[in-house]
Amino acid sequence: MSGGEAHVENSIWMRAVLFGGVFVAIGLLAFATMGVGIANVKHVAYEDAIHEYEDAKYAYENAKANNASDAEIATLKATKEEAHHHEVEAHLSYLTWRTAGITILLMCFTYASFIGLGGFLNSVFPDDHGHGDHGYGGDDHEHHGSGSPIVFSLGIMLFLMGFPSFQATLGNMLSGVDANLGDLGLSMVGLLFVTAGVANWWREDLPFIGNNEQIATETDEWFAGEHIRKAGLWVFIMSEVMVFATFFSSYLRMRTEWCTEWQVRDGNENCAAVDTLTASDFLRPNGGTLDGLGGQGDFMTLLPGAINTFALIISSYTIVLALKTAKSKDWQAPTGVLGKIMPTKKAAIRNYLIATFLLGSMFIVLKLVEWSHLVAEGFTIGAAGTTGQAASIFYVATGAHGLHVFIGLLVMLYLIFKADTVGYDEKNGQGIEYFGLYWHFVDLAWVVIFPAFYLY
Amino acid sequence: MGEHETSGIFESLVEKLPGNFDIYFWNFVILMIFTVFEVGAVFFDVIPGTDIEISLSLVWAILIGVGVVKGYGIAAYFMHLKGDPRVYTRTALFPVLFVLLMLWGIGLSNPGAVGDLPAWCTPFSDGYAMNR
Repeated sequence: MSGGEAHVENSIWMRAVLFGGVFVAIGLLAFATMGVGIANVKHVAYEDAIHEYEDAKYAYENAKANNASDAEIATLKATKEEAHHHEVEAHLSYLTWRTAGITILLMCFTYASFIGLGGFLNSVFPDDHGHGDHGYGGDDHEHHGSGSPIVFSLGIMLFLMGFPSFQATLGNMLSGVDANLGDLGLSMVGLLFVTAGVANWWREDLPFIGNNEQIATETDEWFAGEHIRKAGLWVFIMSEVMVFATFFSSYLRMRTEWCTEWQVRDGNENCAAVDTLTASDFLRPNGGTLDGLGGQGDFMTLLPGAINTFALIISSYTIVLALKTAKSKDWQAPTGVLGKIMPTKKAAIRNYLIATFLLGSMFIVLKLVEWSHLVAEGFTIGAAGTTGQAASIFYVATGAHGLHVFIGLLVMLYLIFKADTVGYDEKNGQGIEYFGLYWHFVDLAWVVIFPAFYLY
Repeated sequence: MGEHETSGIFESLVEKLPGNFDIYFWNFVILMIFTVFEVGAVFFDVIPGTDIEISLSLVWAILIGVGVVKGYGIAAYFMHLKGDPRVYTRTALFPVLFVLLMLWGIGLSNPGAVGDLPAWCTPFSDGYAMNR
């Protein structure tokens, strides 16, 4: 191998497979403790709360039927409402642990498949001891780009073409009904292309140590002298802006049609009463109520969204720190506890990336816990009237954002793997920079989504 | 996220602040503080420690103001538009026209009920679909 790229033994790729094993273990452990152990305890408490509520309800209705005194009925009514409150609390507590356990399990399995499969595929290739005609290698060859993104995109396209009936086909297969396997097969072929594209992309990028980055050579003043990958990433981010703008404009249009609690409080002459509940009516204090739903928000219901907002901002800062450390030519280990966590530059970059990864993972877990609470409280796409529309755009917009976070986490897995093996420095740190741009965009999108959907 | 140095009012203020912290750290601190304002504006009915009521208009103003400050902080400093060549800012501004068109054309125009949207979006929608 020339000095133009790092030499990557196939054994290094096996570490990715080991990472995958670690994720499977973490997922199973989290599911066993949170999703089964604690959740089962919470479920017992929930069942007790249901019985207490039924007893209180029976006593109240019995007292009314037997013409008990007003004072006694009032006391029993208060007891019944208290029991109902406890039942709801117990239900949400159970859902929190159960959803968190299942989410961590599924996330860890996805992480394991992604990093493990990519590592395995690359580990079975013969060791590359010469100049490849791909990738970023060679001292005297300019990098001419990679075909892997095209293979990856083709895979995504095939997967999505088969996806609309993906779930139905799987359901039919499991229940023994004749299933149309064509679409499922198309999705599976798509996933194969995605896997091959990602694995080959890694193989090309892992040895890259910063030589021969492709530079725009046009003569006008626009992108001349700039890294082509960076310019391309900005164009990609702007296409993402358009995607989120469609969600937001749809939301805005529907929102102007609804009579929400905000409109009623604001004295809108077209809104005599609330006809639509939004997510914020379930989450923030003093939210609107309709048909017995909503209006239960307090500090605790708003907390997951608020924590997620802080988590994304902190993760934006940790990725900046990872890049700053990589680009630093005279990096010195910090003193104290931080010095023990980050004794070397390589460890510091890796650990900043791991911190970003953990914060992003926490974001997904809290988001799904929050969704489970909202669904349990009746904020579903099947809710009566325009509340169903509000739920639909809420889940689509926040779900699309969550998907972007999750895709970012998968990419970050690779960055952590590279930081732990080949390593980043001032010459090849732009890999972190380009990923950071995407991650900051995800943070930026949340800056709009959080107030618009959670607070307003 | 680039390598270029930036200069401006915020940068010169940062130089005067105590401690050996860079502009990214102070940008992070400001983003955190403004997020506290954002959540607090919705959570509290009155400004804590006072009798001043937080009206809906004030909440609106806070949410939009905080959003603008946070958006600027992330784009200008974390994404390093301030400091990188101007061409990246131009690229970032490219979809603004389309975004404004979508927000105005779809978001704020309201030709009928939400249920009318498919018809409104269909060219020659006055009976075309039904008469085919």
